Amino acid sequence: MPKRSYSNTAMVRSLRGSEPIAYAFLAPTLLLIAFFLISPMLSGLFMSFNKTSLSGLTRFVGLRNYQFLLSEERFLSNLQLSLLYVVCNLGISLPLAYVSASLLTRKMRGTVFFRSIFLLPWIVAPVVSSLLFRSMVDPAFGPLGMLLEKITGQQHVMLAEPFWAMATIIFHSIWRSLPFMTLFLAAGMAMIPREFYEAAKVDGAGPWKQFCTLTLPLTKIHLLIVLLTITLWTLQDAETVYALTEGGPGYSTEVMALRLFKESFINFDLNRGATLGILLLLVGLAFMISYARITAKEQD
Amino acid sequence: MRLLQKWILYIPYVLFSLFVLFPFFWGLRTSLAEQFDPRLIPSHFTLRHYQTLLSRPDFFLYLRNSLAIASASILITLVISALGGYALARLRFKGKSLGGLLLILPLLPPVAILVPLISYFQRLRLYNTLSAVIIANVVFSLPLTVWMMRNFILSNPVEIEESARIDGCSRCRMLFSIVLPMVGPGLIAVALFVFINSWNTYLFAFALTSSQSLRVIPQGILAFLGTWGTYWGGLCAAGILALIPPVALFLVFQKWFIAGVFGYQLK
Repeated sequence: MPKRSYSNTAMVRSLRGSEPIAYAFLAPTLLLIAFFLISPMLSGLFMSFNKTSLSGLTRFVGLRNYQFLLSEERFLSNLQLSLLYVVCNLGISLPLAYVSASLLTRKMRGTVFFRSIFLLPWIVAPVVSSLLFRSMVDPAFGPLGMLLEKITGQQHVMLAEPFWAMATIIFHSIWRSLPFMTLFLAAGMAMIPREFYEAAKVDGAGPWKQFCTLTLPLTKIHLLIVLLTITLWTLQDAETVYALTEGGPGYSTEVMALRLFKESFINFDLNRGATLGILLLLVGLAFMISYARITAKEQD
Repeated sequence: MRLLQKWILYIPYVLFSLFVLFPFFWGLRTSLAEQFDPRLIPSHFTLRHYQTLLSRPDFFLYLRNSLAIASASILITLVISALGGYALARLRFKGKSLGGLLLILPLLPPVAILVPLISYFQRLRLYNTLSAVIIANVVFSLPLTVWMMRNFILSNPVEIEESARIDGCSRCRMLFSIVLPMVGPGLIAVALFVFINSWNTYLFAFALTSSQSLRVIPQGILAFLGTWGTYWGGLCAAGILALIPPVALFLVFQKWFIAGVFGYQLK
């Protein structure tokens, strides 16, 4: 191998030291991230302690913005709905994702074709898929609306009833995240050697036992990434909820991210928006920490 | 019998595909059917809804804005991520091990960061311009795209670069004339990732612009929803037209796109 000899020359070894040009190459990335991503986070924290009056005067109000929200019924409902949104989305799609992933990891012809189909919900604009779902739950002619009428025996204007409106939001979100979760978990399951399962079968382990003792522990990293990604996506999802219901009827589907969206971009109350942003971040952090603790505990 | 068994294995694939594809099928069907025709497969098809949609000049305005934002975002992100990704993949410098922190940044909620960004852009006199939306697109894509470029460059053999280095090639020339031509799939994956994000998102434009003349396609669809109410034919036509570009590009380049996006978390 003649090429190998190059890496032994003194010339190449001198390259192993620090290269100042690296900082020049990284500068645009770091400057943009520092200025437009990190620094706004800090400004957001700062803004959450201030109040700007209509005349444009800004003054420090301490924790007053937080006190207002935490004692407000509407915010407590926002928070509950956000948690409900995350828990229902994950609770339903995660088991389904494991089932579909285990079916999909079989090696056979056409998997690439199906894989590209499965990823489509993830490629489509949230506002477009929301529009398609809104037409599907239309009480007059939408297939889901008519299906519900057949089952319950009465016509429902789904997006005008709090329960069905939230159910539509969750179903839409499952449709968007399930394919992504499936493919990600399938990628993890494909790395488990087949012999493990054969050995488990010899030991008389059924499918459930195999799942608990092999699949689950061996896809832990993938599971953790999927949980984190989908949780944070769902928590910060204002786009689809706004496009589906705008938080209605009343405030019955107004999740935290949507409240933040409305307060900041429609009412232009940036201080309250920033406060909601910090609270949203804290909820996300709480989820992250609990996932990390559960995973760490299982390691013992 | 064996053949039958083989076909049975495809049933879960088909069921899952039906679940995934049904909304698309429904949208396409509604955009081509007479209004309020409740049959799953309508008796006859019409292009009237598309004509209604395309007769609106504002649709083309939204299209132009979306295309302008997407192409500028792609161009800027490509250059910056190539530079940053190359540094992280090949150059030696202090603090390189902190590069992995980039992967934490996409977890931050854009909807929260946009709030202070509004006042930033007001002070920079960029609020209510397409540039503000472009900057937001670039900034929120960068952490992932830099990492994607790093992985694509790392997966190339380093020997060619080393011999060029010995021939006295500068780092800059090396990046643009030797490395980048070899990571074509990486550039395509990054470009497609940025295109899909910027084409699909209305959050940034919603937060950072206020003029109707600066609306992007997803905002236009929201506006149509507001004015057209339950005119599903026209609305679905708009939805179908809006989903064609990202879906078509994804289907063509999916191999590289999936390697770029799913690879980054696994490496």
